[in-house]
Amino acid sequence: MAAVELRGLTKRYGEAAVVDRVSLTIEHGHLVCLLGPSGCGKTTTLRLIAGFVEPSEGEIRVGERLISSPANTVPPERRNMSMIFQSYALWPHMTVAENIVYGLKLRKLDRDTIGKKLDAILATTKLAPLAQRYPGELSGGQQQRVALARALIVEPETLLLDEPLSNLDANLREEMRFEVRRLHDAYRYTTVYVTHDQAEAMTTADLIAVMNAGKIEQAGTPEDIYDRPSSEFVARFIGSSNVIRGVGLAGGRVEFAGVPLRCVGAKVEAGASTPVSIRPHDIAISLRQPGDTDNLVPATVVRQVFLGGSRDYMVESKDGTQLRVVTAAAESIPQGSAVWLGLPPDRCRALTG
Amino acid sequence: MTIALPAQAAERAKFKLDYTVPVLAGFAAVLCVLVVLPVSWLIYYSVTIGDPASNVRVFTLAHFYTLFTDPAFVNPLLTTITVAVSSSVLCCAVAAPMGWLVARTDMPFRRTVRLLVTASFVTPPFLGAVAWEILAAPNSGLLNQLYRFVTGAPQDEHLFNIYSLSGLIFVITCYTFPYVFVLVANALDRIPADMEEASAMLGAGTWRTARRVTIPLALPALLAGILIAFLQAMILFGSPAILALPAGFHTMTTKIWSLFQYPPQPELAAAASLPLLVVTVMLLRAQHTILGRKGYTVLGGKNADPRLIKLGWLAVPAMTFVVAVISLPLFLPYFALFNAAFSPIATTLVTPANATLHNIYFTFVELSSTQLALNNTFILGAASATLGTVLALVIGYATARQAVTGHRVLGFLATAPIAIPGIVLGVGLFLSYTRPPLVLYGTLWVLLIAYVTIELPAAYQQLQSAFRAVNPELEDASRILGATRLQTLRRITAPLLRTNVLATWCFIFVSTIRELSAAIMLFTSETKVVSVLIFDLKESGELGAISVLGLSMLVLTFAVVIGVNRMPGFGGTRLRNT
Amino acid sequence: MKSFKFSRRDLLIGSGALAAGATFSTRVLSAAPPASAITPQLIEAAKKEGKVVWYTSVDLPLAERIAKSFKDKYPGVDCRVERTGAERVFQRIGQEYGSNIRAVDVVNSSDAAHLIVWKNQGWLAPFVPEDVAKHFPAEHKDADGTFASFRVFLCPMGYNTNLVKAEEAPKSFADLLDPKWTGKIVKAHPSYSGTILTATFQTSRDLGWEFFEKLAKQKIMQVQSATDPPKKLALGERAVMVDGIEYGMFQLKEKGNPVEIIYPSEGTPLIVGPNAVFKEAPNPNAARLLQSFMFSAECQQLAIDHGGLRSAHALTKEKAGRKPLSQIKLMKDDAAAVEKQSAEIKARYTQIFKV
Repeated sequence: MAAVELRGLTKRYGEAAVVDRVSLTIEHGHLVCLLGPSGCGKTTTLRLIAGFVEPSEGEIRVGERLISSPANTVPPERRNMSMIFQSYALWPHMTVAENIVYGLKLRKLDRDTIGKKLDAILATTKLAPLAQRYPGELSGGQQQRVALARALIVEPETLLLDEPLSNLDANLREEMRFEVRRLHDAYRYTTVYVTHDQAEAMTTADLIAVMNAGKIEQAGTPEDIYDRPSSEFVARFIGSSNVIRGVGLAGGRVEFAGVPLRCVGAKVEAGASTPVSIRPHDIAISLRQPGDTDNLVPATVVRQVFLGGSRDYMVESKDGTQLRVVTAAAESIPQGSAVWLGLPPDRCRALTG
Repeated sequence: MTIALPAQAAERAKFKLDYTVPVLAGFAAVLCVLVVLPVSWLIYYSVTIGDPASNVRVFTLAHFYTLFTDPAFVNPLLTTITVAVSSSVLCCAVAAPMGWLVARTDMPFRRTVRLLVTASFVTPPFLGAVAWEILAAPNSGLLNQLYRFVTGAPQDEHLFNIYSLSGLIFVITCYTFPYVFVLVANALDRIPADMEEASAMLGAGTWRTARRVTIPLALPALLAGILIAFLQAMILFGSPAILALPAGFHTMTTKIWSLFQYPPQPELAAAASLPLLVVTVMLLRAQHTILGRKGYTVLGGKNADPRLIKLGWLAVPAMTFVVAVISLPLFLPYFALFNAAFSPIATTLVTPANATLHNIYFTFVELSSTQLALNNTFILGAASATLGTVLALVIGYATARQAVTGHRVLGFLATAPIAIPGIVLGVGLFLSYTRPPLVLYGTLWVLLIAYVTIELPAAYQQLQSAFRAVNPELEDASRILGATRLQTLRRITAPLLRTNVLATWCFIFVSTIRELSAAIMLFTSETKVVSVLIFDLKESGELGAISVLGLSMLVLTFAVVIGVNRMPGFGGTRLRNT
Repeated sequence: MKSFKFSRRDLLIGSGALAAGATFSTRVLSAAPPASAITPQLIEAAKKEGKVVWYTSVDLPLAERIAKSFKDKYPGVDCRVERTGAERVFQRIGQEYGSNIRAVDVVNSSDAAHLIVWKNQGWLAPFVPEDVAKHFPAEHKDADGTFASFRVFLCPMGYNTNLVKAEEAPKSFADLLDPKWTGKIVKAHPSYSGTILTATFQTSRDLGWEFFEKLAKQKIMQVQSATDPPKKLALGERAVMVDGIEYGMFQLKEKGNPVEIIYPSEGTPLIVGPNAVFKEAPNPNAARLLQSFMFSAECQQLAIDHGGLRSAHALTKEKAGRKPLSQIKLMKDDAAAVEKQSAEIKARYTQIFKV
């Protein structure tokens, strides 16, 4: 079965490239998340895949079929895809059932088949009692399920989701994340999922592509992305790592605030300014100097906040760099204290550029 | 669920062609024909002169020279400017306080007042002019009779003389101020309460707030209204033809029309049309500039209800003012028309003793053009409304969704006719369609073209803003599920815009029925419409028949508008919005 | 109506023939076709066509009355009246023919010059109804049989008897220039009405254009149709009319309206309104039937009795109480000259009266 393949995909509006030479392969049956802040080009990429937008350069293939190129773009209605929109885009003048069977009617299926498929999907999405309601009469979660049912009933080759959970409240959102994954496991459609929420991406995706300024910064499994960010942007965006800036030393260390740090990750070049990421909860904080002398950075507590389950510190090193540190709630150090920060070498990741 | 045959579905989908591009290209071509062709002929004729011997047209500026030097043209030009300036100022003086009273005070019957002013829009201005003849002709006018009866003034004294420049300005104002009123009242509606509240919290009193905040915020709408009023007064044909000619003066529109009497002088008519065209374009640009200034217009957002100013005892004078104003375009003229319809002589009051059905009998039984004119009007009204709505819908879609490259051009073409006054368009269409290859003159088609062209800009603007209010994802959802653009437009967008579409349809229908200035240039005996028939009757002084026809036209209008809104599947079904 | 005494009627027909002769110089000057009676075949053929369109400038209610009596007599043939001022009729037919539109079957104009033009253009069908052949004097029919005088009437002055006492009423055109009539006069327009164009031609020829120049300073109310001034008198809107249809005045007066005719001492303009069938009439048989009907004694008498017109038909009787033509001083009419000067008259009139 067909994979979706983006090759050098570019979309320019005037001078600005909103999507900039994006290449990505989405294996058949996989769920890929396009993750990034707003304005990073992820939604445009999705609309390029859907065919609502024509590329300026590059191409999109489904299997061997070329569906988008600057010369020729197959219109959305001939791509055999489904899409779930941020607004759900349920048609207010149609009942739930009418909304759901719309795509089947366009495919000119006979009435019996449509009826059977409708019943099946209503059961799956637990919408049967609501079939004759109008969308305006449903709650947000119910609307979401109608949108899902409408997209799935046509049995698309590819399923596209554009921030489908962003209009739900926090509890429901969490529940629906798993629901999306469950349905994906059940149907195994090739799926592209756009979100700015990393938890959503972590829960649902087989593969995450982190986008920034129109480019894919890093693509990999959730573990890859989280544990082994390859750029400062990814490190900051995923798990909100501290990124400190040091100077490369001979022998792979990075000098930061006068301390030569041992790092993993990218190869360090001597004399080059090198960013290093470390997560807030990986940093150990103590009033007294620990016996272990490696990767110890002196700092001052700027502020601390009690968050119930944890305690959140902002500390400042000698050179003025501020770092976030998360510790157990019990460990309270007053503001203004001089502290030692322990940065475990295997958690310090030197990043490229 | 099973994963069934997606490949086959894709296969099937391949055979579905997307006609969008050719269809939209077709619409662009239609618009070009509608707009560009008549204007081109107009310009061409205005700068050339035909040599009857060789049948060759040569370039000349003689027509323009005549236009700006011959008193026969200069005077109408000056008259037109006087009329337009005076009536737009008057409109503003009347409509602004009324709009404010209706939108911002607790005056009783505010909604009714709005409804009535809107209803006066349905009255064709030429019908209003005839009614005002019956009311205020210097000797026979009902009001002057009343004046003499009350004061005992001698027979040859009169209070009003409608056959005069001031009479003309008055009647034009009567039927133009609704435009300004609606603009101002709507603008005042939209001014959010919090702006006023902010002012109030800073210690300004209610009146001071009104003066310092509310009025300045409504100013752009007022200015735009004045420009519209100016335009309307400038391009109106019926009222001056009815009121100015008896008084012995012309406006530009009647002058242009008179140039088509025998022997016709189409070149001069074309040349005389161009100043109207140019002034209209300039005014519309000015309006655009005024309304387009950012940060000055107040739009959108959900706001608390506006703070209503308590009028207290002032409610009485306010109501008196409003009723007096409404009686001028509405109560008095309709009283005059009803009276004339049942009276043996239009300016004699109907009494049980002299009441007659003769006018009705004459109009519907004896007058052999009535049936034809009613049929033509109805067919044209419905056809123009339908065609105009479809055009506006498709073009509004293309531009609001930026569906095709060149949508800007489409939008421009659809808006351009707003700059072409009816009579000018009439001249242009006459020049375009009385010659091969498309001899449409003498058919209903040429009138259809005229009506659609005239009504397209307003229809387009209404529907385009309606499109903007519909989330494009609703359409995207339909397309990704397998519907082409046109299918989507038909099955999703059009039903969602149902109320807007209906309103636009009715708007065009009503406007078409009251149109005279283009029709007067383009009708033939077989393609007569009611407005032209009324004008014909006017020229031979058949006031009774005019009243009957005018009133039945209104009944027809209301019947159609109400009927359309009750049509099953349109207005009646429930529509729930998310 | 033997009492007719037109001093210049030969001129009308003669000049028409002359003009035609000049245009069709190669044409053998032929006599009119033989007279046609109304045959059952004609009626059948007309019914098959089902309708006929009559372009006319006759006052609308009268025109519709004539159409109705035709429809009553020949059920199954609808007659639609297309009524406007004669000058408009002329312009409209010219425009329609110029655009290849053939809508008119039968035409009637109060400007006899129009018939000359149409005949010269070869648009009129030679057709002589039996009544025309038998009962109309030669001076009221075209030698080539293309038209004949459907109606004859005058374009007199008039006043409202409530507003003006009989002894104070003007007696002549010259009287109208008295300042006391300022703002009290109504007048119709020669660019619209054939009656007024013809009358303007005669008046300006006999009294000079100075008359109109002075009249223009009297603040007249300018209406379009010659049928309108009598109505404005009846409404009481104006006290005096300079010109207007005599037959309208008869109708109003006989219905009890306060109007009275003045036959000015300088002479009253005489108007002849011929009827013709168009060669390319869309309903040729119904057209011939209508033409025959309109020249019948029955229809001509209806026009006299109901409409207040006068007739050239020998078998008709004038209605009692109306001043016979023989006792009225008439101005001389000259259709050929009107044809030549038409444009100039309109232009000059517009220049003087500003509209």
